[in-house]
Parts: sequence; structure tokens; C-alpha cells
Amino acid sequence: MAAPAIPATGRAIEVRASRGLWRDAMRRLLRNKPALLGLLFIGIFVFAAVFAPLIAPYGPLEGTLVQRMKPPGGAHLFGTDLQGRDELTRILYGAQVSLLAGVASVIMGLSIGGIAGALAGGLGGWVDSVLMRVVDVMLSIPGILLAIGIVAWLDRGLPQIMFAVAMTNAPIFARILRGSLLSLRNSDYVTAAQSIGAPPSRILLRHMLPNSLTALIVAATLALATAIIDVAGLGFLGLGPPDPRTPEWGTMLTDSTKFLRQAPWLIFLPGLAIVISAIGFNLLGDGLRESLDPRLKR
Amino acid sequence: MTKYILRRLLLTIPVLIGLSIVLFAFIHLLPGDPAAAILGQHATPDRVAAMREYLHLDDPIWQQYLAYVSNLLHGDFGTSVINNQPIIHEFLTRFPATIELTLAAMLYAVGVGIPLGRFAARHAQSWSDGAVTIVSLLGINIPVFVLGLTLQYIFAVQLKVLPASGRLDFSLRFDSPTNFLLIDSLVARRFDVFVDAARHLVLPAIALGSIPLAIITRITRASVLDVSNEDYVRTARAKGLTDGRVDSRHIMRNAWLPVVTVIGLQVGGLLAGAVITETVFAWGGVGRYVVDAINNRDYQVVQNVILIFAFVFLIVNLIVDVGYAFLNPRIRYA
Amino acid sequence: MTATAPVPAAVAAPARRRPPDNRLLSVEDLVVRFRTHEGAVHAVNGVSFELERGEALGLVGESGCGKSVTNLAIMRLLPKPAGRIEGGRVVFDGIDLVTLSEADMRDLRGKEIAMIFQDPMTSLNPVLTIEEQMVETIRAHRKASRAEARKRAIELLVMVGIPRPETRLKSYPHQFSGGMRQRVMIAMALALEPKLMIADEPTTALDVTIQAQVLELLRDLAEDRDTSLILITHDLGVVAGMTQRISVMYAGYIVETATTAELFENPSHPYTVGLLHSIPRLDEERAEALLPIEGTPPDQRRAPRGCPFAPRCAWRLEECWTDNPPLAPIDGSGRVITTGPDATHRIACHNPPTAEEAIAGRPLREGFVAAPPPDAVIQELVTRGAEEEPALLDEVVLMGPEGPESTAPSAGGLPIEPDDKP
Repeated sequence: MAAPAIPATGRAIEVRASRGLWRDAMRRLLRNKPALLGLLFIGIFVFAAVFAPLIAPYGPLEGTLVQRMKPPGGAHLFGTDLQGRDELTRILYGAQVSLLAGVASVIMGLSIGGIAGALAGGLGGWVDSVLMRVVDVMLSIPGILLAIGIVAWLDRGLPQIMFAVAMTNAPIFARILRGSLLSLRNSDYVTAAQSIGAPPSRILLRHMLPNSLTALIVAATLALATAIIDVAGLGFLGLGPPDPRTPEWGTMLTDSTKFLRQAPWLIFLPGLAIVISAIGFNLLGDGLRESLDPRLKR
Repeated sequence: MTKYILRRLLLTIPVLIGLSIVLFAFIHLLPGDPAAAILGQHATPDRVAAMREYLHLDDPIWQQYLAYVSNLLHGDFGTSVINNQPIIHEFLTRFPATIELTLAAMLYAVGVGIPLGRFAARHAQSWSDGAVTIVSLLGINIPVFVLGLTLQYIFAVQLKVLPASGRLDFSLRFDSPTNFLLIDSLVARRFDVFVDAARHLVLPAIALGSIPLAIITRITRASVLDVSNEDYVRTARAKGLTDGRVDSRHIMRNAWLPVVTVIGLQVGGLLAGAVITETVFAWGGVGRYVVDAINNRDYQVVQNVILIFAFVFLIVNLIVDVGYAFLNPRIRYA
Repeated sequence: MTATAPVPAAVAAPARRRPPDNRLLSVEDLVVRFRTHEGAVHAVNGVSFELERGEALGLVGESGCGKSVTNLAIMRLLPKPAGRIEGGRVVFDGIDLVTLSEADMRDLRGKEIAMIFQDPMTSLNPVLTIEEQMVETIRAHRKASRAEARKRAIELLVMVGIPRPETRLKSYPHQFSGGMRQRVMIAMALALEPKLMIADEPTTALDVTIQAQVLELLRDLAEDRDTSLILITHDLGVVAGMTQRISVMYAGYIVETATTAELFENPSHPYTVGLLHSIPRLDEERAEALLPIEGTPPDQRRAPRGCPFAPRCAWRLEECWTDNPPLAPIDGSGRVITTGPDATHRIACHNPPTAEEAIAGRPLREGFVAAPPPDAVIQELVTRGAEEEPALLDEVVLMGPEGPESTAPSAGGLPIEPDDKP
């Protein structure tokens, strides 16, 4: 122990570092005001989806044509739609469809893209080349066009929509994971682990994946925002769930476009629901990125 | 530099091949007999037989693929089952409308986005920077159709200052030979048509351009801020250069690089967004053609429009990458 | 804080315009703060020093001690809007730079005062040729045609020893090696024959084999032109053969200043002693282990109450915790010479190490123990820490004399798994 020092200071720093990336990240996240706003938006969205049957003032299919296109106010806070159904109720139930389709498509995309990315980045060589060319091909078909093609091919239906949106996300996840694994493979601590003879599978699982995870978490959160928008977009193009009674936000919009003049709230309110949910995930994603990677903080 | 361009060109080839395989599979993996599936309700035994022959369905699968590629290379993109028109013909008459729309949207996104991003970076952390951040957050998260319908409601329904949809007022009789309305009307000296066409273009271009606008604003802001913190900018100031010179020569010359890349990537989003925008604004371009084709189950149209859009996207990115190399000496002299 | 900053008597005297003597630069009680989200960072806390024409001064300290900030403040290039000069004067050639208009300051930069930065890899603009960058420097200050400026640029490149300058001018920075780039930086700095050159860690980013060459070039060029030089470095070894005087900085204060020979012969501040013990000495044969200075510089978001080095110091007395000593002559005399070969050796220390202790690197006095922080100090740190950032609290508590010994290292973090798991 060298003389000119207080021995304890060194230990203090050690303790602080070991508080853990996740707890530090959480602390930073909870101080990030935009991210908290995002969490609030997501909270509203998830709450609406989960408790729609409890909080909705009417049934999702309940309504008569006599009551159609009533402006907001009175017995119908958000007015009624073309079939006289309560718009607030439809929007609350619509959150279920959006949340389900969004989360399922991102999980599907993560699984497909994650496996492809892990194989490409973990194995390298020709596996990497082939998989990355596939990713290039998929990314060369611009965004929602790929989803349109897949739905056109597989026919309409909620599972098809989820798969279609998942396939637009999967190549992005694959690229992120592969890139992160590749940079880690050349990092000093992985080289160090290799040099002490740790088996490759262990290096991949224990040293590399946890570090790549942060990038994937951020990407997945941001992908939820685009997934919600894309699902609504497919619905808007008439490629939504085949049952026209399903309260899907994009489909609700299409039905109402002809009545923009008479019933603009039937456009704005579902539109607002989409925007708020998407912004929620976007804000949270940005907040996560900042809090998981302290170096990014400016 | 030439080497770089060649290498970049070579890299595009496997993607094109992969793309043709995927889209070939799109048709040939349709459930049941592809010929019957393509023809759908228009299927008669004669037409199915003709289609089977056209697709070489009785040959081995690799010959079917070669036939498909060979047709593509000969400019044969198949015929629409709805009206028996060659798809390439339909496509070419509609594509100018889509180009007009996407170019206008891109001009709007770049023309507003870059100055806005520079402005936000210069006033970083101030309230005006915050306002720009909020607007760009909104821009990214408003779906094209929601924004399009909102714009229609405000400017066409309520204020009645701009037309709600279409490309040209019905009262104006104008025969556009190339279907580039803005150019054709100028050539024909029909300024009334030009003005009306331009007025029709405003709302769809803004709706379509908003996402790229938001993204370009963000990346410009981030890039300018990034570069402003670079050591060489400090060197430039330490040399006694004026702020204007530091800004234009040292900051922007470098800040451009990521912005250019992002602009190229937005072209894909614009083409995809055009599909929706054209639906909202009844814009007679390729986007609407595709949506109609999906609803009519006109598979070959869907297949080949996707192929052409992807091709255009690849070409644009190729051009952007070459432009990037030109701007960046580290690649130019690599 | 500002009120108690140490002000050496000689410097506090009002400066005359255009001093008749050989003085080029005098920095008087300079205070620089950075405003951040977490509060003000006290980067420079009343620094004073002077420089004669043709004199070379070394500014030495660990990163974050304020040496670079001091010089960015002289150049008025502090990062905006966070960094601000909050007090003091910087008189250069009779002009106070702190109050100078931005336009006049710009005229001065590059022409009268030139700067060389640490990393030549990042300090040259990657998208402009060397010619473009050199010519624009010359033409920013001198009415010269492009061709004239180009001719001058070639002369300069020859001067710093770059072969084939005509062709090299057309090159981009990435086509040069690090050492060559730093030569280009030096050429650019000398382009307008400045009166003062500030070199901020000019060789830190370079290969060890190149370092000596570049330093030598820098010294020779400065000496030939009678250009004053401020050499900033964390490495006392670098300044040894380079400068006439050295000022050691810590936490935004100058803690020791002397002629180079005197400082190496008779280091008198515990921090200087620590620095000397943490560099390898090639000129001495003893194979003694290097002693690193333990701990880290203080968090400068808070102005320290006492001596900023006290928490890391082995010689500290109780008063060191509460009273920040001013910079004063080591022999206790009142006369202070601030520049030149007879500059007074001054330190800011209550309990300077003796010559033997300086050699040993630790206190040798019988029964001497570094004073623990008084309760008042701990109490203050604890309350302040709890308010500002709970995480800091752990550090503060552990810093105390009887900190909890067994703090579980996995508190809240990823649990450290035993290695035998599959």
C-alpha cells in the first residue's frame, strides 16, 4: 500500500462500479423526463388494452344506425362511429388489437432476427455472408411494402399481419445483434476470455450476449412504435383483420375517410391514439438508449 | 475511387439476385396451382393453361426461375389479370406521378429539415431547440395517413385553400404526354395547369415528407453538434477563423456526411409511404396501383411493383454511396 | 469560495499597460466555472502566473486538474455555453483578453497566440487538404494571394521537416502518420510567427519514439524565434528538458511553482512528490518501484473547504481539511519573483515534505499519521452528498476514517455468480 493515499477511496470506487449496470440504468431512466412521459403514455395504452372490457362504457359492437356519427359529448364522450357504436369503446378495444399485434410482431421479429444475428455474428464465415445477404435483400424492399407483399401473399388475418410486420423488423434486429457481436468478438475482454480457454459457447452466452442485449432492448422498444404504426397502416390500406367488426385503429380510420367533413373526430381520435402509443415507445426507447449507454449522454 | 464504385456495384448484384429469388418465390409458392391463384376468379381452363405455359410450370423449378429472370431482363413484367394490359406499360404511365410526389416530398424534407437541424444545433439546449425536438418527435410518430387526413381536414375542408385530392382539377382539360404534370404543363405553356398541379401537390408532399423531414432534422442537429465538439473545429477557432467560416467550411463539410446517408435511406421510406399517401389523396400513381392490385388479388402486379421499387431504392442508395465517397476523402483515397 | 482564493501578493499589484519589462503574459487570479446540469464545476480557482518573452513554462498535473481549461480560457475557446471565465484577468502584451471584443480576440488567435492540441489525429479536419487548412490560416490574418500563402505553407513544412512538401500539401490528414500530422500542426501554429505558443499535451498521442523528436522540434523552433511557450502535460518527464519553469496544478489550483531545476531538486508539495514518484526516471539507476498516487482528483462540482489534495495526502494535518493554504514562497520570505531564472519557489502547503521524505515518497517523522477528517467535515459531506446524489454518499462514508469495512460488493448490481455454474 502506497503511502500518500487514503486506502478506503479505492474501495469506494469499486463498490460504486459494482452497483450494476441495470440499477444505474434504471436510476438514470427514472430521472429522464421524456422517458417518464413515454412510460406514462405506454401506461395509458396498456391500461386501456388490459382493462378495456372493464372501463369501456359500452360493448365494442353495441350500437344502432340511428345513433350513427353523433359528435363527441353527452352519452358518448368520443361520439359514435358510422354504425352508431361508441367511439371511445372502439378505441379502448382497439388498443388490445394494437398492443397484441405490436408486441407479438416484435417478439417474432426479435426471435427470427435474433437467431439470424447470433448465428451470423457468432459463427462468422459463410453463414454470416449468406445471412447478411438475405438481410440486405429484405432491407432493399422498403418498409411497409414488404409487409404489404407478405399480407397480400398470405392473405388477410391478424397472425399474418403480425408475421408481416415481424419480417420488416427481423433484418434490423439481425444486423444490430450481429454488429454488436462482431465488435465484441474483437474486444479485449473477449480475447482475454478466449486466452484463458473459455469454451466458445460460454463466451457467446456469458460475455457477448449480455452486452449486446442493451442494443436489442433499445431497438425492440423503438420497433414497437413502428410496429403499431405499420399495423395501423396495413389496416388503413384494407389489409387489416378480415372481420370488419374488429376494432382496429387503422381500419377504423379507413371506414371514416369518406366522412371527414361530417365526422372528423372519427379520424382524429383513433389517429391520436396511434400517435400517443407510438410516441410513448419512441420516448422510452430513446430514454433507454441514453440510460443504458452512459457514454451517449451529453 | 473507380475501384470503390465498382466494388459497390458488385455488391448490389447478389442483392438483386436474392430479390428476384424472393419475388419469384412469392408467385411460385402461392398455395395451390400458381397459375390458378394468379388468375383467381378470372380463371378459365384456357387462361390457366396459357398462364402455366407463361410461367413454365411444367419445367423444373430452376427453369421456371430462369424464365422469370429472362422475362424481366426482356422488360416483360407480365400482364395484369384485371385488364390484360402489360404491367410495365401501366407502371410506366403511373410512375411519373409517384416520382413527382416523392421528389416534392424529398425537396420539402431536405429543404426544411437541414436548415431546421442546423438552427436547433446552433441553439442547442434552448427553448427553440426543444421546440424543434418536439416537432420532430411528432413528425416521426404521426402515421402518413393520419397526417394526410388531418391536412385535408384543415386546408381543404375547413380553410378551403388547397384541393383535397387528385392531381388536377377536373375542369382543366390537359393531356399530359409523359404524365409529369409539372413539366408537361410548363412545356405546353399551360401555366394554369402548372399552378393547379402544384397546388394539388402541396398537401400530399407535406404528408409524405414529414417523417423524412423529422429524421433529417434530427440527424442534422446531432451531426452538427457532434462535429462542433470535434478537435478540428477547436483548431479552426484557435486559428482565428470567423464563425461563419468555421461553420461552413469546418463544421458543415463534415456534418453533411451522415446526413447524406440518411437522405438516401429515406428514399425507401418515401416509396413505401407513397403507397399510403396516394391512397389518402387519390393520387394516380404506382402506390394506388399496388393497393388496387392487392384488393383484386392481382399478384403479378404486386410482385413486380415491389421488385421495381426495391430496384429504384437500391439504385438511389448506390448513387448516394458514391456521392458520400466523393464528399469524404477518407474513402476517396482509401 | 471566490473570495478566499489565494492571491499571491506580487501579482495582485495593478498591472501597467505595456509593461516596460520583458513580460508577455500575466494571468491574474483566473476563475473558470462550467455550468452543468449537476451544478457548477469549479475548473480553475484563482490561478495566477506570468510569462516572459521567449520563456517556456510547463503546466503539469493529472487530467482534469484545470491546465487545459486555463489555456482554453486564455484563448477564450472554452466550450460554450457551459464554460465561463468568472473572474480574473489575462493580460497579453498589455491587453486584457478577458474583456476584449470577440472580433479582436479572433484577430489575436492564430496570429499572436497559437495553439497545438493533443491529438493530431483529430485536430486536423479530415475532409480538407493540408494546403486548404494551412492557406486558410495564413489568409485569415494576412492579405496574401492563394499562391503566396501556398509558398509560405511550403516554407513552413520544410521548416518542420516534412519531405516533398509540394506534393504533401495536396494530401489529406489521414494520409499522414501521427508524428507527421503533429509536425503539420506545429507548422500551422508557427505560420504567423506568434508571440506565444500553447502546446496542450503535444506528444501524448504519439509513439514514444516520435515524442522526443517532436518535442525537440517544438523547443528549437520556439527558441529560434524567441516565441514564448506554455507546455501542458501530465508527465513531468516531458517538461524536464523543455521548459525553464514549471507550475504544478491540482484541482484548479497551482500548488507548486519553481524553476525546472529547483522543482526536480527540491520538490516540496506532496502532490509534486507523488507525481515524481509515479514517473520512471531514466537518469537514475535505482530500481525503485513506482508509487502511484492513490485515489482520484476531487469532484469539482463542490468547492473544497480545505486543501483539495487533503483526502489523498499522507502529510495532511487537521487544518488541511478546513483551510486551503495559499501559494507562498517556500523560504517564508516576502519577496516574490514570478518569472525568469530566479523565479521564487512557491508552494501551497501546510505541511511540506522534507527533502528526505520527498525522496522516500512518504512521511518519515516518528509517529506521524495523516489527520482524519474532523467530524464537521464528514457531517457536511454527508448532508451535501445525500442532497445532491445519493450514490456519492457511499463514497463519502467510505472515505471517513471508520467507514464500514464490509460493504457487500453486489448491492443491487448483477450478482457475481460462482464460477462453477454451467
